[in-house]
Amino acid sequence: MIRPRSNTRQNHLKLARQIVEIVLERGLREGDHLPETVLSEACGVSRTPIRSALKILEVNNIVLRREEEGFFLNMKPELVTADGSSQLEDIEESLAERILSDRAERRIADVQSVSALVRRYGAPRSAVLNALKILSSDGIVTQLPGRAWAFQPILDTPNALAESLAFRLTLEPQAILAPGFSMDSQKVGMMRQQMKDFLRRSDGSMSSVAFLRLDCAFHSFIAESSGNRFACGALSAHQRLRLTTQKDHSIPDFRLRQSLEEHLDILDSLERMQLQLAADQMVLHLRRSQIRRPKAANRGILPLTPGAVA
Amino acid sequence: MTAAPVIALFPEASFGSALNCVGIAQQLQRVGAVPVFLCHAGFTGIFAEYGFKEYHLPTDSTNSQQSEETWQAFVTTHLEHFNHDPMEQLTSYVAPTWEAIVDTVIQAEAGLETLIRRIKPDAIVLDNVIMFPAIANAGVPWIRVVSCAETEIPDPNVPPYLSGMAADDPARPTFEAAYLAKTNPAHRRYNRFRRSRGLTPLPPGQFLEISDHLNLLLAPSAICYDRAYPLPVDRFVFLEGCVREEARFDPPSLPVNEGPIVYLSFGSLGAIDTDLISRMIEIFATLPARFFVNVGGFLESYQRVPDNVHLGSWFPQPSIVAQADLFVHHGGNNSYCEALHFGVPSLIMPYCWDGHDNASRAAQTGTGRHMDRTDWTPKKLSSAVMDLISDQNMSKRLKEISVKMASQPGAAKAADQIMRKLK
Repeated sequence: MIRPRSNTRQNHLKLARQIVEIVLERGLREGDHLPETVLSEACGVSRTPIRSALKILEVNNIVLRREEEGFFLNMKPELVTADGSSQLEDIEESLAERILSDRAERRIADVQSVSALVRRYGAPRSAVLNALKILSSDGIVTQLPGRAWAFQPILDTPNALAESLAFRLTLEPQAILAPGFSMDSQKVGMMRQQMKDFLRRSDGSMSSVAFLRLDCAFHSFIAESSGNRFACGALSAHQRLRLTTQKDHSIPDFRLRQSLEEHLDILDSLERMQLQLAADQMVLHLRRSQIRRPKAANRGILPLTPGAVA
Repeated sequence: MTAAPVIALFPEASFGSALNCVGIAQQLQRVGAVPVFLCHAGFTGIFAEYGFKEYHLPTDSTNSQQSEETWQAFVTTHLEHFNHDPMEQLTSYVAPTWEAIVDTVIQAEAGLETLIRRIKPDAIVLDNVIMFPAIANAGVPWIRVVSCAETEIPDPNVPPYLSGMAADDPARPTFEAAYLAKTNPAHRRYNRFRRSRGLTPLPPGQFLEISDHLNLLLAPSAICYDRAYPLPVDRFVFLEGCVREEARFDPPSLPVNEGPIVYLSFGSLGAIDTDLISRMIEIFATLPARFFVNVGGFLESYQRVPDNVHLGSWFPQPSIVAQADLFVHHGGNNSYCEALHFGVPSLIMPYCWDGHDNASRAAQTGTGRHMDRTDWTPKKLSSAVMDLISDQNMSKRLKEISVKMASQPGAAKAADQIMRKLK
């Protein structure tokens, strides 16, 4: 089976940042205990990577470890925002991620030379080449004949988002229906818990970044559970691309909730092995997730109807 | 047990009105009504994403290609007209737009009448600049939301609608005469249509009557005019803004992630002027601030975005305005009221309609600054941005306005007033 690129250090850094977000979202205070089991459930991973992430936070003085007692928040939450998470950003933001982020924000063009990247980031040539290789292994850049590198399409525009949804509409229901679909029940439990935690948040406190992470985790899980290895590979890579390059701040709270409830309904059907129903629910879910914004409108001029513009 | 009243909201086809009505609908739902939306098919899903049922006006679906051609023709024709002053725009923009508005009313009538018969609302909320006869004839109370600035309701102490003037401008009579002359053909055609639908004609220059039931104005007291003829309080209610509840916006970290936050949005239509926005972004790159720029559906028109600028095709506006130190906008009434609601100064670069009126009003009331779209220089733009961010007097005044507006939530007041009209 095709597996995502393993980059343990990066995963631990991401988890560390996720823990910081949980601290802020739950309104924890300096000195509060951070139980590994709670964080493990909230992040949907086992305790081992949580412990590694907490150690990164400990190095950064964001948490404190007490023998036999565990980890405790070591600074005021407002300082975690101002100092801690930015410190963490410095470590976390590998060159590959900075390059990808800058491309997604349209700061750099879609064809790049290594020397141009060396100049922009002030990094050694070897580091830039290494970063490009990392991006290449995820299929985000390809080397052109000669020395230039070209970015592949990413989810940076409304049209790209629409194409991404069309692609997923074709493949995700099939990933469920392919013979051999099988889910890790422990992971289902953790995923459910994370979604329910998110649903308990009040309107106005539902972060779109946190939602995107949950959403990508759910759809990646469906891909990984597929019996079709090619569907799994293509969809897993696409979800990684979504997670790193999709920036959508436009979803109203009502739709965020509705979307998570649709995830839970799909999981219900999958656990009952009603795969056809789950596949149909996935179609419904993806169609509802299409971002619908009128192309433009003004007095006397009606907005273009969906599909009027390619 | 009495069934919950069904309130049909019918905003015009622009985001300002649409989202303003979402704010009212959220509050109507809270007080036990069932808000539903009447809308053009181009708004499919917009209201559903906020949890409201949508009823679409039937479209003349000759084909979508034609729809795109109409739109492209509009853009090609009018982009340069946005650089005209209000008097010139009466010919180049206002008169043709009124003709187009009358067209949409005539086209929508049959479909709207059918929908209203089907929904059987207990009341209809109309957020538009023109009456649709099907609404006046529906036999239920209808509520007018004054879509534009307060100038939409005339008074000797209020500047003429769409003029951008002061009330006592010596050129006022000339502008008013020109307005009546230029809108006359559309007005006569509209009045003929009204008569054919059993409605009385309206006086020259007017396309929408005062509701006998309730009229809501989105004009916070900080910017209201002292009218020569005060509006009757039993039918007119001034709202301290009408801000909807929106998703949380977490500003992304930028490569240069320091300095105050400036948000720029020129509304549904303004994003088409990618040339103007590109030139402004070049200046933003030189300033010590972070800029979040709404470029609508035109993201692909931009490359080499500076390290202190973030482009988006859509922002949950109330959430980002709440975090901004300056809001650069086109003077749309919704945008201006949101800036006031959150105590944020406005730099207004109007391109048409009541944007001119709000730009003047912001300057008159010390809540922002008016800057022309055409004659700004890099130095002028830089100074305007930095001066507004650091203007302590304006900041203090805006914070006071914000506190007052927050204490009297407009959307909740609107919902309360609407419900009273049902009793």
